Amino acid sequence: MISRVDLGEFLQAFLGEADEHLTHANAQLLAIDAGLKRGEPVGRQVRELFRALHTIKGLSAMVGVDPIVAIAHRMETVLRAADRTGGRLPNGSVDVLLQGIRAIEQRVRALHAGTPPAAPPQALLDALDALENDAPPIARAQAESLELDPAIAAKLGSLERDAIASGVTQGKRAISARFTPSAALARAGISINSVREKLGAIADIVKVVPIAMTPTASAPAGLAFGLVALTSSTNAAIAAAVGIDAASITVIAEAAASAPVTSEMALLPPEDADDDAGVRRVDMVRVEVVKLDDALERLSALIVSRSRLSIEIARLGSLGTDTRNLLALAREQSRQLRDLRGSILRLRMVPLTEVLDRVPLIVRGLRRSTGKSLRLDIDVGHAELDKAVAERIFPAIIHLVRNAVDHGLESPAERVLAGKSEEGALRIECTAVGNAQLELRITDDGRGIDRVELARRAGAPIPETEATLLALLCRPGLSTRDQASDTSGRGMGMDIVRRVVVEDLGGQLAVRSEIGHGTTFSLRVPLTISIVDAFTFECGAQRFAVPLSTIDEIVELDVATIATGPVRTASSAGTVGVLARRGQAMAVLRLDEVLGLPAAASASGRPKGLVVRLDGDSVAFVVDRMLGQQEIVVRSLADPLVDVAGIAGATDLGDGRPTLIVDLMALSALHLAQHATAHLSIPKERLS
Amino acid sequence: MTQALHVVFTVGNADYAVPASEVAQMESYEGATPVPGAASYVAGVIQVRGRVVPVVDLRARFGLPPQERTLDTRVVVAERAGRVVGLLVDRAREVVLLSEEQLKPPPPMVAAQSGGFVTATASLGARILMLVDVPKLIGEEQPHGQ
Repeated sequence: MISRVDLGEFLQAFLGEADEHLTHANAQLLAIDAGLKRGEPVGRQVRELFRALHTIKGLSAMVGVDPIVAIAHRMETVLRAADRTGGRLPNGSVDVLLQGIRAIEQRVRALHAGTPPAAPPQALLDALDALENDAPPIARAQAESLELDPAIAAKLGSLERDAIASGVTQGKRAISARFTPSAALARAGISINSVREKLGAIADIVKVVPIAMTPTASAPAGLAFGLVALTSSTNAAIAAAVGIDAASITVIAEAAASAPVTSEMALLPPEDADDDAGVRRVDMVRVEVVKLDDALERLSALIVSRSRLSIEIARLGSLGTDTRNLLALAREQSRQLRDLRGSILRLRMVPLTEVLDRVPLIVRGLRRSTGKSLRLDIDVGHAELDKAVAERIFPAIIHLVRNAVDHGLESPAERVLAGKSEEGALRIECTAVGNAQLELRITDDGRGIDRVELARRAGAPIPETEATLLALLCRPGLSTRDQASDTSGRGMGMDIVRRVVVEDLGGQLAVRSEIGHGTTFSLRVPLTISIVDAFTFECGAQRFAVPLSTIDEIVELDVATIATGPVRTASSAGTVGVLARRGQAMAVLRLDEVLGLPAAASASGRPKGLVVRLDGDSVAFVVDRMLGQQEIVVRSLADPLVDVAGIAGATDLGDGRPTLIVDLMALSALHLAQHATAHLSIPKERLS
Repeated sequence: MTQALHVVFTVGNADYAVPASEVAQMESYEGATPVPGAASYVAGVIQVRGRVVPVVDLRARFGLPPQERTLDTRVVVAERAGRVVGLLVDRAREVVLLSEEQLKPPPPMVAAQSGGFVTATASLGARILMLVDVPKLIGEEQPHGQ
């Protein structure tokens, strides 16, 4: 059994490694599932999964976690058998293997939580044992014909090896042929292109490998080609068809019922024989997030002291000291700090694909629980996000995926009736917005949001714009179903998605929905949240900062030109004015009024308008004076006492006291929402 | 007989005490950055060792009229359950050792009038110290600001 004392030292490392291999195993299993459904060979994935489990088993044995060893061992046995047949798995394997991985995950989680993992469920072990006995008979490749040119063997990857193995199990022969180009052959019309073409007609070419050699009379170019192919034709037939010497063709593997039972993969050199210790040699270092946080924390302190330095230099300058050299030095230091910040922030970036690698698994579960048929496409390229952003946004993505499958997509029967393909489509994609933001889109081709029905449920007017539709969807407690469904009815609601995206991350959320055609939710989030470029300004005698990325433009304002429209619902958050901007009417809000600050004592300054864009509409916030632009370290105001809407956090501009960071987007949304509720006066009981 | 250190502070004309185990440090007060939209008894945020900390103005919390800050004004930085909150008080100079026997339930009328802020009283010579409930002061009974 497990003794926590013995484990302590290795446990942390073990848990980290185990998580990584489990993630990998999950990904492979899903690929196998998808491959099998499409009838594609899954040899490579089976082998990868086998390796992942082999490693998990080895690691678990090292720290003495017997229940995991027991499960992993049986899974490994099933997969080894499958690997020998080129990746053919008995029916129902994927589900049992999935359960196996779940069971291992549960036990790893238990170890995380410091409790001893439970014994493996007997039903699971029995199911795995049953699979092992169901394994198809092992096809045997002939072991005696080992004449694979080492130059060719070295170039064969696992994909090709698997292709050879699976071809052989289907009764084909794997051959290796050599073609040496020469001027004479070229005159006869025989070149590597013709050979490739003709060989391709009677065989499946697995790989063509150029082989360099010292030029001889028979190989004047100093070059030959090794061709590896799977075929059902004889050597003579191939030689005749392709125009090469039959003697240059060798059989490297073929199915032979009489062959002795040897390790069928032995004819191919093992890819790496020493993975037993579970060591994967990659150019990577695993770093705990706390260490990254620490580095960032220290950098933040440096940036704050850099700001203090600027203040001191300015003071010296105002006393008449020549500070030109100091200033130049300070500027250089700023640039260096900026570079350092870039490198540290890059360290914290995680690929979006990694963030989303559990989505297919969740969708798989949803397919079962809803009985809907759907195709999931994740196309996020190489986009990366700060770890902290990724962690916050993941639950929101999951919610939207669940919603899409549960409410968005129709049942296969409904889809056919609607003239759509039986299989629904769910797509997750992303695009970069500038170099500081990312837009993630989650699209389904389902029934779309029924605005009339939604309005009826919420007891609100039918939303006519996308902005009002979103506002209605994000109302706390709004459910689009009579009964909370098994999948979407629990957990977070759209209001929480909005909160995460808009308030926590300072991003934007949008929806586009067309009845009968589907729905798209767009989440625009910053790539990183800890250090941002910001404008600093003064308003109501208080200093504030606002992230650069949220500001569309800064406009000069002449207060006299701001008109005030009719005021039917007065808001505590200020009066809306209207201003002409490039021939368009733009709403204007006084930030001091919105924030409830005392108006600036002197009206002598030249007020500026900070323009933000909210769902396509521009809103200008009037501030008293712009102060400058600088890099700021964002500290969240997480304490409930000061966790207020419209304030994204605080920063130290170098004076040792907090300066608030305003979220103008949230403020305008809030302003709009206040008026909306004032107009609608929704009966409370209809909201629950 | 168990004894525990307590931090003693003054708000208005009364002396209060909180267990020293709930106090992280004391700071002199140079003003806080007001946070628009926060409760009226929140003076704002200050920076304590690089951390941004909300400050609860105990004069406002206890229903007393505001007073100009003086050289004596202090922020008692309380730390509880991962939250760090400053308590703005008129004066805080002493740390005393109180035994359990010294702590008495507050007179019911005092307890009722304080709305549960005062959990016990202790006499220290001629003075009466009122023990206050820090979680309650910093609004833990209202998880989502209801």
